[in-house]
This record gives sequence, structure tokens and C-alpha cells, in this order.
Amino acid sequence: MTDALVLDGVTKRFGKNVAVDSMSMNIPQGSIYGFLGPNGSGKTTTIRMVMSILYPDEGTIRILGQPNAESVKDRLGYLPEEKGLYKKMKTAEILAYFGTLKGMDRHEAKRKASDLLDHYGLGDRKDAKCESMSKGMGQKVQLLGTIIHDPELVILDEPFSGLDPVNMELMRDVILSMKKGGRTVIFSTHVMAQAEQICDAILLVNKGRKIIDGPITEVKKTAGGGIMLDYTGDGAALHGLPGVQRVNDSGQHAELILEDDADPQEILRQLVDKVTVRRFDIREASLHEIFVRAVGGKVDE
Amino acid sequence: MSNKTILVAQREYVENLRTKTFWVGIFFFPIIISLSIVIPIWLEKTKDVRKYAVVDHSGWLLEAVEKRAAMPDLEKVFKAAIDDIDAKDPADFEAYPPAVQEIARFLAGGKEKAREVLGDKFPAALEELSDEEFRKQYVKAVAIGISMLDSPQIAAAQRFGMIPREAVEEALARREEIKTWYDSLSPDDAREFGSTLSRGRYERIELDLEGEELIAKLSEMVDREKLFAYFVIGDDPIAGNEGFKYVSNNLTDEGLINWFERHATAEVRERRFEAENIDRELAAEIQMPVDFEMKKVSSTGEEEEVEKTEIVRQWAPVAFVYFLWMAVFSISQMLLTNTIEEKSNRILEVLLSSVSPLQLMSGKIVGIMWTGLTMILSWVLSTIVLVTFLPGLLGAKGDVIDFASIARDPFLLTSFVVYFLLGYLFFAALLVGIGSVCNTVKEANNLMMPVTVMLMLPLFAMIPISKDPNGTLAKFLSYIPPFTPFVMMNRAAGPPTNFEYVATSIILVLAIVFVFWAAAKIFRIGILMTGKPPSPMEMLRWLKAPIGQVPVRHDEE
Repeated sequence: MTDALVLDGVTKRFGKNVAVDSMSMNIPQGSIYGFLGPNGSGKTTTIRMVMSILYPDEGTIRILGQPNAESVKDRLGYLPEEKGLYKKMKTAEILAYFGTLKGMDRHEAKRKASDLLDHYGLGDRKDAKCESMSKGMGQKVQLLGTIIHDPELVILDEPFSGLDPVNMELMRDVILSMKKGGRTVIFSTHVMAQAEQICDAILLVNKGRKIIDGPITEVKKTAGGGIMLDYTGDGAALHGLPGVQRVNDSGQHAELILEDDADPQEILRQLVDKVTVRRFDIREASLHEIFVRAVGGKVDE
Repeated sequence: MSNKTILVAQREYVENLRTKTFWVGIFFFPIIISLSIVIPIWLEKTKDVRKYAVVDHSGWLLEAVEKRAAMPDLEKVFKAAIDDIDAKDPADFEAYPPAVQEIARFLAGGKEKAREVLGDKFPAALEELSDEEFRKQYVKAVAIGISMLDSPQIAAAQRFGMIPREAVEEALARREEIKTWYDSLSPDDAREFGSTLSRGRYERIELDLEGEELIAKLSEMVDREKLFAYFVIGDDPIAGNEGFKYVSNNLTDEGLINWFERHATAEVRERRFEAENIDRELAAEIQMPVDFEMKKVSSTGEEEEVEKTEIVRQWAPVAFVYFLWMAVFSISQMLLTNTIEEKSNRILEVLLSSVSPLQLMSGKIVGIMWTGLTMILSWVLSTIVLVTFLPGLLGAKGDVIDFASIARDPFLLTSFVVYFLLGYLFFAALLVGIGSVCNTVKEANNLMMPVTVMLMLPLFAMIPISKDPNGTLAKFLSYIPPFTPFVMMNRAAGPPTNFEYVATSIILVLAIVFVFWAAAKIFRIGILMTGKPPSPMEMLRWLKAPIGQVPVRHDEE
């Protein structure tokens, strides 16, 4: 399988600040790829370089087999983190406009815009001006504008941030259906849990540097085991358990990171005495834990 | 132009057509033009007739003044009648009394008619006059003849002498008829034959009173505004001004007193000459004013007669410059607010995934240029239609026609459209650059200051340049690109030489190319930038930076 996107040693500096530091990655066609890292870790800069909005200082990018995005813009869909619509335009119009900008025929774009709005429950808002739409509807229209031309590669920058639960679901559906159609989806996020649910492969980045990348199953193998715990009681009791390396405590929920030779049964036994256990789940460590371990500190979310 | 540029331009155009600003702009102009045509005509039509009274202690001056005042009126009536012979609506001509109609037809014959009547007696000196000049003298002679023939004081007949009396004999035969018609003309009717007839503006009333009683009554009427003014003429005008009085509550409107004084002075002066036994003809000759005939040198080096139209033409470009300035300023301003709006809508990055920054920028500039052209062309069209038909609809005659011919002048109109385009392109690139680095209109206004100052200069220079269109100031400013469109438009009356047109245009086009290049570089960086707008020095560094590289801001270093 060919790669939809290849980055090789891409570096971008803003003055003395290195925003992206010799980043390399291969993203196979047809996959959902998560680009993870805290805010300010260089995700958006990398994406902007991929989109040829910024140019790298060093390194090369190959996108859909081309050295830069200029010549393949019509085959790309891009949803930036900072996004908006023309307030005075009607929803169907603006979708069709985005479509024609991507090289679609005017009629085809109009028809497709109308179909998409029907399909995603905005059929009665075709003639509504964008300024009259709720924030959630606006987000929907923005997403539809990104995929109206059925792009081969979709790049979404923080697509889940600020979405209501309904649109969150919609976003997930769209990403999954793109994959079903053999398309490649790359999205960035700083919320690890989202990536964990739908990504085939991920790349973890911090301060402009790659920490780890690969298929999600392999990435997880590197981290060893853990226990997911839902509990009620005093969180202090979670500390000092035998074989527990570290605790990521969220009050009602905690992740216990185990040493290699830890005995989960013993841990459960001791826990039952101290707190009320509502769920006890032995599993691989979460991406969050992997990330924390890799950076060796607290994640700055 | 790439396909995507056109797509951006089309969207921009269609969106602009939907804005209120655009339609206000489209209709604002014709409304202004209509008002500038309608209001003067309307004011003229509704101008109050000034009622006045005269207490004449001399016993002869009032009568003489009225005779003299009739002369220019009749002259105007005949001229209007001659013009109306070929009027579209025959009723226009038929409105004149039969005697005036006949004389107008006779006068229209000009030199040829005179030659026919006089045969061998036609003076050779008259052959040198142009037909038009001849007709002018001819009309004057008839007017003088009809109004003052039997007055012993026809000094002005020095001119009358140039046209042999025999030539106007036919006209003079109808003299009584016309005098009666004129004397019985009411002010309202008088205005039908020409808005400037003194008969239509001033109406003398008479009261059946005498002495102190009369004066008291007149004063009371002036006080109650039933009377605009009254004159008192002294016993012996020839001796001096003793006993002369003008009483009115409105001393700022000097139309009436000037008019009356002018005719009274002429009459009294003549009688004084007569009293001193100075020959009438000699006196007239001595009093002949020095009269420079206004001429200008045409492009072929020949002398050309300066007509009234020429004077209007000299000043017409001022109006064009003003509208050019408004158009360039308001339409490139559209681009500025538009860019800022896109920036604050956060739609730019979405667009940049489909089009390049250069395509986006040029698309916007082209789209708004179409908007501007639509507006300008609608202005041009509505102006042509309005100045052609509106005065006619309102029944105005004469004076407005000069204005119409200027407003339709293809040379001025073409310059207007071409200089709009060039001026727009220059300022559009400048403003789109500024717009791209600003997040709010407020920020933009700060950066706009120098541009606004630069734009104001051609407005200040407008009057001096019109007075001296080929002077050093005008020539110098023509070569400075931001001023070129306005100054060259301003100088259209000159007009500048072909070399100047070519040279200034080349410099302007080069400047436009440069501003575009600079704007494209700044636009590229500016549209993705948030935070405070960059300083001019910072923008200079942007110009030097290679494409795709974002130079570091000082506060980030």
C-alpha cells in the first residue's frame, strides 16, 4: 500500500524557537491517523506545512505522491482549527462555493451541496444565511464543506474541539465513512481518548519532536499493563499498593500503572478494603499514560 | 487569470451586489445629479417676483429706465424665439406673439436676409462678420429699435449704426405691436420666455397716493413685506444724487438695485453729455469699454474662439476628479473592510486549502473591481440620461445644454473610466495589504492614516490645477503614481500632451505592479497572523523574506 503522506526530517523554526523538529512520518492510504500532542506542540504548524500554507525550513514532504500540496489541493480536504463561514451567504451556496473552488463543476457542486444538507439533517436550512445558524449547525456546514468534493485525503485540525455531543458523533461518523470509502483521514487532537477510539495509527508529539508513532496496537504494547478503576472513596488509599508503579487519579476514576510482575488479584483485594470498587478492568495502558511516560511528566492539557 | 481567481472574483461580485452599500452607491449619484439639475431650475422657477415701487420726482427717469430695461429682455426673447423656430414641439414657437414669430424668422435669415433687403447698399464691412456675430448684432439692433427708437438718447445705437436701419425696417414696422405685448406681459408669463427676463423678476406697482402719504404707505408695505423695496428719484438726476433713496428690508439681495441703477446711470450719463452739448455718437465712442475677446490656441496652433462652453469645460474636470476620488476611495475601502471581515470570520485558512494566497488576493481585487465598474458605468449612464432628458422634462432652456454636452464628452468619460481602473488597482493593492494585517477596522484606521493623507492631496490641489492645468505643480504631481489618476483627470481641460499621457501611465502601471508584488507578500503572511498589526519596519522585512517563510516578530525573538 502506498503512503498518502510522507514527512522526512521536516523542521520549522520561528526565530530561535523550533516549532517542529525533524519530524518524520509515513501515513498509509486508507487509514485513520491521529496526530496527538498537547497544545503548542507543533501540530498545527506541521499541518500547515503539509497544506503548503507554510514552507518547511528543512526536510521534505510528499503528499499524494507530489512534493507539495499546491498541485493536489483539489484532492485534499482541510478543516483548520480556526474556521468560519461567510456570514451573509446561504448554507447551500457556501457549500457549492467550496466545491467549485475544489474544481467541481458548478451544477455538480450545487447538487452535492443539496444532497449533503439533506443527508445530514439540514435540508430545511438550505436557504438560511450562515449568520442565522446555531454554532452546532455552523460546525456541521464547515465539516460538509471539507468533504463535499470527496477528497482522497482529509486533514482535520482539532476537529473535536468545541463540538457538542451530537456533532462529536457526526464527526466520528464522517471520519469512519471516509475510511470505508478508502480515503485517508489525518486529524490532530490533544485529547488522547478520542484518538484511542478510532485511530488505526497515531503519532505522539511534544515540543515539536516526535515521541512515538505506529499502529495503535503496537504503540500500546510498548507501554505494558494497567488497571482501569472506577471507585468511590478516598483517593489517598490508591497510593502504596503493591506492584503499582504510578496512579493517574481523576477522583472517580483512576488508572493504575503496574510493574511487570505485579499481581492484580492482590491489588483488588487490598482495594476492596479501602474504597468501594465499581469497576475493575485489567488492560493495556492508555495513550495518556504512554504519553505521560514518554515525556516523563504531567501532560499539559 | 486562473479559474480559481475568477471563482473568488465572482463570489465577491455577487456578494457585493447584495449589500446595501452597493445600492446606496448606485442610486446616490443619480440622485445628486438630478438634484443638481432640478434644484436650480426649481429655484429659478419659484423665485419670488420682487415687487417694487418708484417715486419719481424727476418726471422722466423712470420712463427712460423702463425703456432701457426692455431692451435686453427683448433681445433674449428674440434669441429664444430664433432657437425655438426648429423646436421639437411646434407649440413652443407658437407661444410667441405673431409679431415676434415673424421677426424671429426674419432675424434667423441673418446676413443673407439683410443682403436681400439692402441689395447694393449692403455695407462691405458687414461681410467680415461671421453669420453668428452678425445675427447677434442684428438681434440687438432690433431690440434697441423696438424698445427705444424714439428716444433721443440712443447712444447704444452706435452698434445699431452697424446694421443699417433699412435692414431692420421690417422688424420696426411691428414695433408698436411688440411693445404693447411686452408692456402687458405679466411676470409669470415673462418667465415662460426665459428665466432671466427682468420682466419676470421685478414687478413695479403703482399706488394712487402722493407725497408724504405715499412714502408712509410704501414704508409700511416694505415693513410688512408686501413690497420688496421702493426707490425715490430726486428732482434733478442730471445735477446729482440728491434725493435718491432705496428702501428695503433685504439689503443683501442686490439684484434689484443693481439692475435699476445700471439702467438709470446709462440714461443720466447720456443726458449729461447732451446737456454739455457733447455729440451723442462721440460720447458713445468715448464710453466704449475696452473689450478683450477671449480666444485660445487650439492644438493646430490656430486661434479659437472661446465660448461659454469652453469655460465650463475648463472647470468640468473638477467635478470629474471629485467623483473619481469618491469612487476610488469608497470602492477600495470596500476591499479593506471585506478583507478584515474574512479575517475575523476565520474563513481565510479554509479558503487557503483550495486557492493560493495570490489567487485569493487577485480574485478579491478583481471581484471588487467589477463591482466598482458596475457602479461607475451606472453613474456614467445615468448622468448621460439625466442631463440629456431631465432639463427638457422640466421645461428649462438654454443654459443647461452646455453642461450636458460636457457630461457626455467621450474624452472625459473615457479618461474617467480608465483612471478609475488605474487608481483603483493602485489603492486596492495598498488597502488589501493593510487589510490583511489588521484584525479590526479600528486597527486598520490607524494604518490607513498615511494613505488617507496621500489621498487628500489631489483634492487640495484640485482648484489650483484647474486654474493652471499645464503648470509646474500639475506637471510634477502627474508623475507621482498615487496622484496620477486624479491630477491627469484634473488636467483634462489643458489637455496634457500625448507624451505626458504615455509617460505618466507607464510610471503608474509600474507602480501598480510593484504595489501588487508587495501586497501579495504582505497578504500571504498577514492573513494568517493574529495579534497586533505589524509596524511598517516589520512589513518591510516581510517584503524581503522568501515566500512561505514567516519572519519573526520582534516581541517573539
